[in-house]
Amino acid sequence: MEAELNQAVSLGTTIMAAAYDGGVVLGADSRTSTGNYVANRVTDKLTPLTDKVYVCRSGSAADTQNLAAYVQLYLHQHQMELGGDVSVRTAARLAQQIVYSNKAMLQAGLIVAGWDARDNGSVYGVPLGGTLLKVPFTIGGSGSAYIYGFCDKNWKPGMSEADCHAFVVKAVSHAMARDGSSGGCIRTIVINKDGVKRHFLPNNEILAAYGELQPPLPASIAVGGGGAAEMSP
Amino acid sequence: MSIFEYNGAAIIAMAGKECVAIGSDLRLGVQFQTLATDYKKVYRIHDKLYIGLAGLSTDAQTLFHRFVFKHNMYKLREERDMKPATFSQMVSSTLYEKRFGPYFVSPVIAGLDPDTSEPYLAGMDTIGAIETAKDFMVAGTAPDSLYGMCESMWRPNMEAEELFETVSQCLQSGSDRDALSGWGAVVFVITKDEVIARTLKGRMD
Amino acid sequence: MVASGPFDFDLCSRNAYLESKGVKPPRLTKTGTTIVGLIFKDGVVLGADTRSTSDTTVADKNCEKIHFIAPNIYCCGAGTAADTENVTGMVSSALELHRYATDRESRVVTAMTMLKSHLFRYQGHVSAALVLGGVDLRGPHLFTVYPHGSTDSLPYATMGSGSLNAMAVFEEGYKEGLDRMGAVKLVARAIRSGIFNDLGSGSNVDVCVITRGKVDYMRNYEYLMDKTVARETPVVYPPGTAPVLKEKRWKINSTRPSEAAAGGSAEAMDVS
Repeated sequence: MEAELNQAVSLGTTIMAAAYDGGVVLGADSRTSTGNYVANRVTDKLTPLTDKVYVCRSGSAADTQNLAAYVQLYLHQHQMELGGDVSVRTAARLAQQIVYSNKAMLQAGLIVAGWDARDNGSVYGVPLGGTLLKVPFTIGGSGSAYIYGFCDKNWKPGMSEADCHAFVVKAVSHAMARDGSSGGCIRTIVINKDGVKRHFLPNNEILAAYGELQPPLPASIAVGGGGAAEMSP
Repeated sequence: MSIFEYNGAAIIAMAGKECVAIGSDLRLGVQFQTLATDYKKVYRIHDKLYIGLAGLSTDAQTLFHRFVFKHNMYKLREERDMKPATFSQMVSSTLYEKRFGPYFVSPVIAGLDPDTSEPYLAGMDTIGAIETAKDFMVAGTAPDSLYGMCESMWRPNMEAEELFETVSQCLQSGSDRDALSGWGAVVFVITKDEVIARTLKGRMD
Repeated sequence: MVASGPFDFDLCSRNAYLESKGVKPPRLTKTGTTIVGLIFKDGVVLGADTRSTSDTTVADKNCEKIHFIAPNIYCCGAGTAADTENVTGMVSSALELHRYATDRESRVVTAMTMLKSHLFRYQGHVSAALVLGGVDLRGPHLFTVYPHGSTDSLPYATMGSGSLNAMAVFEEGYKEGLDRMGAVKLVARAIRSGIFNDLGSGSNVDVCVITRGKVDYMRNYEYLMDKTVARETPVVYPPGTAPVLKEKRWKINSTRPSEAAAGGSAEAMDVS
């Protein structure tokens, strides 16, 4: 147990961001774990880089927090010289440069997303090695493996804000239902020309995967130890 | 093998009523081969401040000379001796500076406050984590048996002569169960106006 | 000696050589600890046990794990004792200078940021796990800081080997807006669960209550571990029992203490 608590604090995570008509939605679970212990069940993995650019963090908590702090610092210095807001593109490129030039030292998978006047809502993936990908939507973290199919099927270009938000919440809750390293609550952020809106969905209000997973059979009709996993007729 | 078992040592410091005592065994060895039987591990900083250094003796000597150097520099600046607590902090930061490549030494510090004659005792690990105590402090190759002796023998408010007997018995009996320390001992008793240093006869095996 | 950074790596190559020859590195004093903190109605309560260990030996039965950071900020430390002591000391002195320069009360986030950047720089090799708490102009704050340099902001937090025991108590008993009495009692109960159920933690309960403009540091708030047994008749050896071969005594010149030391050589005193 002692050894387990001394492990690096890791964001075994589900994170995602998706662009819609006029903005972006970012979403994340809230679990931080050290080994099998949940060190924080209400983590905020959506970190501001500037007023209208946020980053979703996955990987080592220490690496991504400190990385985000460095990006924040450089962007703010840059904004002072610029006399205005930086674009999402600039923020994402800076994050990518730092990840790439320190890739031997860092365990950080990022999604940079936000709104600027030129590109409207935009989403950039910055995966482990330090690539930069401009994408309409992307998912990340250990939980994302479970929802690739769902997201490919359900993301549509030009969604409304409400539809996009529902899509993100639904995707994250599916991942949380299957991934042991993801869990807790769902935090989302909507960014568009009007500003930034945060949403919080407490754990007890997440319908276990929106009622679409097979519910466990009642004990009386369950067969054998693994009865709950069997299909009902 | 632990590097602490290369030379061997047993050190005890104890507090009494307005007095402290600190003592060490006299053996110096290279593992099981005894090289010297008059090797003291307690060093004087000034009359009311002593430091015992257990561990690798090459490091102990190097460190002691650094402490003397730093203490001399302090005296030149401040025109007074270091107080025990100040000295402890100095020892601690000297050791912590080498956090990732430490001296293999664990110090025990015993002193009397120059103004109040209150006893001061402290011990440290190899990287300078200070541990202060009101009763006793031990270091060496068999700390557990020294702890055991002190834990049952120490009592509050001992006078200098009582303190001397207690430290002596703890040191000798404690190190009798340790193959790497022994061969007699030396004990310093520090009172507010006198230092008494005594060499003790011990088992020679 | 290396001038950059607080550490000196001169002996690393020698020690690595010794280690390659099969010499085990020395055991360090750890605080296999239970430390906790929570936010209540008017501020923050921090708590800690008082055991420090060296391997399986109890090195100190009543050590202090709640460190001073600033008059309005304190910090509980777990991990390697030297690291927690020095990292808190470093931040504490940096903040004191910062207060002289700015003439403003220190903020808890400032302390937290300094701790995390130092710990991150050393990639977990400075092994300090901390619970940082305080009250500043923005109200009460509580953070946990991990050795690798990550931080969490929480209403109640635990750290150290007894953190699971303490967290079980918090998860059961914590409510928002606790009063001072309830908060202190809950913290003491969480520490007790570490002391009694975790072997790395033990002895007594220290509690520190920080409210706006006031700190109540209750050292040994619960004194649990006095000796349970004492010898009926303590062994007293009459003077002259120890076989003295040689004796040397000298007076200390108490009026001019520095002269004797300055005049004599500072070698180990020759008692022959």
